[in-house]
Amino acid sequence: MTARVGRRALLGYAGSAAAGAAVAGTAGAVAWSQEQDHPADPATGASPAGRSHSPYGVHQPGVAAPTPQAVTLVALDLRSGVDRDALARLLRLWTGDIEALTQGRGAPGDTTPWLATAGADLTVTVGVGPGPVRAGLLPGLDGFGEIPPMRHDRLEERWSGGDLLVSVGGRDGTTVGHAVRRLTADAEPFARLRWRQHGSWNGLDGEQRPVTGRNLFGQVDGSRNPQPGTDLFDQTVWVRSGAWAGGTTLALRRIRMDLATWDELTRDEQERSTGRDLAAGAPLTGGVESDDVDLLARADGRFVVARDAHVRRSHPASNQGRRIFRKGANYSVEEWTDGGLRVESGLLFQSFQADLTDQFVRVQRTVDELDALNEWTTAIGSAAFAILPGFEKGSWLGEPLLT
Amino acid sequence: MSIDHTHHSHPPAAGPVRARGTGRRVRRAARLLPALALALTLAACGDDDGDATPETTAAETGGIVVQDAWVRATEGSEDPSMTGAFMVLENDGEDDVDLVGAASPVSGMVELHEMAMVDGDMVMQQVDGGITITAGRGKVLEPGGYHVMLMGLTDPLAPGDEVELTLEFSDGSEQTLTAPVKEFTEEEGHYHEPGTEEHGHDDSSEESMSDSGHGDS
Repeated sequence: MTARVGRRALLGYAGSAAAGAAVAGTAGAVAWSQEQDHPADPATGASPAGRSHSPYGVHQPGVAAPTPQAVTLVALDLRSGVDRDALARLLRLWTGDIEALTQGRGAPGDTTPWLATAGADLTVTVGVGPGPVRAGLLPGLDGFGEIPPMRHDRLEERWSGGDLLVSVGGRDGTTVGHAVRRLTADAEPFARLRWRQHGSWNGLDGEQRPVTGRNLFGQVDGSRNPQPGTDLFDQTVWVRSGAWAGGTTLALRRIRMDLATWDELTRDEQERSTGRDLAAGAPLTGGVESDDVDLLARADGRFVVARDAHVRRSHPASNQGRRIFRKGANYSVEEWTDGGLRVESGLLFQSFQADLTDQFVRVQRTVDELDALNEWTTAIGSAAFAILPGFEKGSWLGEPLLT
Repeated sequence: MSIDHTHHSHPPAAGPVRARGTGRRVRRAARLLPALALALTLAACGDDDGDATPETTAAETGGIVVQDAWVRATEGSEDPSMTGAFMVLENDGEDDVDLVGAASPVSGMVELHEMAMVDGDMVMQQVDGGITITAGRGKVLEPGGYHVMLMGLTDPLAPGDEVELTLEFSDGSEQTLTAPVKEFTEEEGHYHEPGTEEHGHDDSSEESMSDSGHGDS
């Protein structure tokens, strides 16, 4: 078994290396889906056999890539005295690491290069927080800044903010953990660790076919995402002009989920709170998972989808057409307290959009104002990052912004 | 006799990825048990499954491609006047090419070095001629093996710095690249004894390491 997977991975690497240069920008996601045994939703699908993502392109490939099975998000704070030149050096350093690690090679100077694996679906996505932008280290970006506090937030400083983000996604926690270790070690002269958050996502069904995946409430989560490779996706996600063209923004929310009280609800109550069928993820107004919900449908004179149902509140129709592209990662963390072992569960909610304020903040305000799910979900961490545009071979991450 | 990190004993032509992995295994083997290094080189090749990966990235341009270059930081090292530069040299061309020289603005003198077995000991020595970058296989420059030796450093190199390197090849071409300076976490004595032309990597150096206060935690 091991040998078979190894061979596949190796062949996958050779193939992707040859195709890498041609696969740029949003075409990457499309090309990828065409390579699969089971072509399916490229936004959420994972593949039984992993691949090596080319690190090159107009956009950082991790944004449009399928939701990774394992993800670690790391926030760092720049050390005092780190100027534009130093930040550029760090990003060049990371560029070399990313070029090697995503292709299954140890990073330059790697102490454990054997942990780098080809065909690991590894992506590394780098972003910059509002601080360095405000300090003038990088040009500004329309609508980008801190996420304003919401009424239902119970934010903890230890899970919030950050000057730099490195989000490493992949097929398994070991490969992801190794990449995180190298990237943070190389950042050490420039930045100190602020927080790390790890989560997982199951984007495959029992027959290894790509599916949307579920959060820990059991809800199919991310059904109506814009699909990579479409105009809607491009318009929703990518910054289209100016210095940041090809980049995007990320709102990361650490959302604690109260599984105990959620479990006390009947299935009917659970489905009413979101407006979707739990088994298939289809809207309560009928059809299949990918169908749009009919917000005007009534039964017995009442809306089928309740006024406070999450699909209604987060729907573009309730937000003047504004959309986001979302990814999730489920987490459960153990913590020893005086009262014994405590387990906290939740969702690392990642929202990508061209304009953080106009899209994410607007939708989040609507949800904060009224949403049945607010009773069982609480944001305890919040951070905003401007995701750098991609880079081509011979260039480096952030070069157009820092030179 | 030198260790060829391109693992010429490797039966089928594996891709560059495998060449690298094998090279690194050799490095560790050489560090831990110098006398057995060559035997382990062969053993390390035994896990190849024989399913050769075709070279799909055929040479269009020929020439040498430099990858994964880095320079070991000297900050805090015993002898900050010298260090090594390491990299992967790919050769997609038809002919072998030698790395024949190197230069850097941070270094008064640059030499090409190799680790070699002399009378049963692993020693560092200047390469005779050049470092051959085998066509289709390339060469790995790494700690404990071939490396570019930067001597007479004017300033200490800290992690996060960058060093400009110019490489000269036997086909008359030159390449200039910028390599990041990275911390090297292996204890220094395992890399090589600074300031000596030849250094036997034997038990006595292990003892001197443990005497030098590394284990005070």
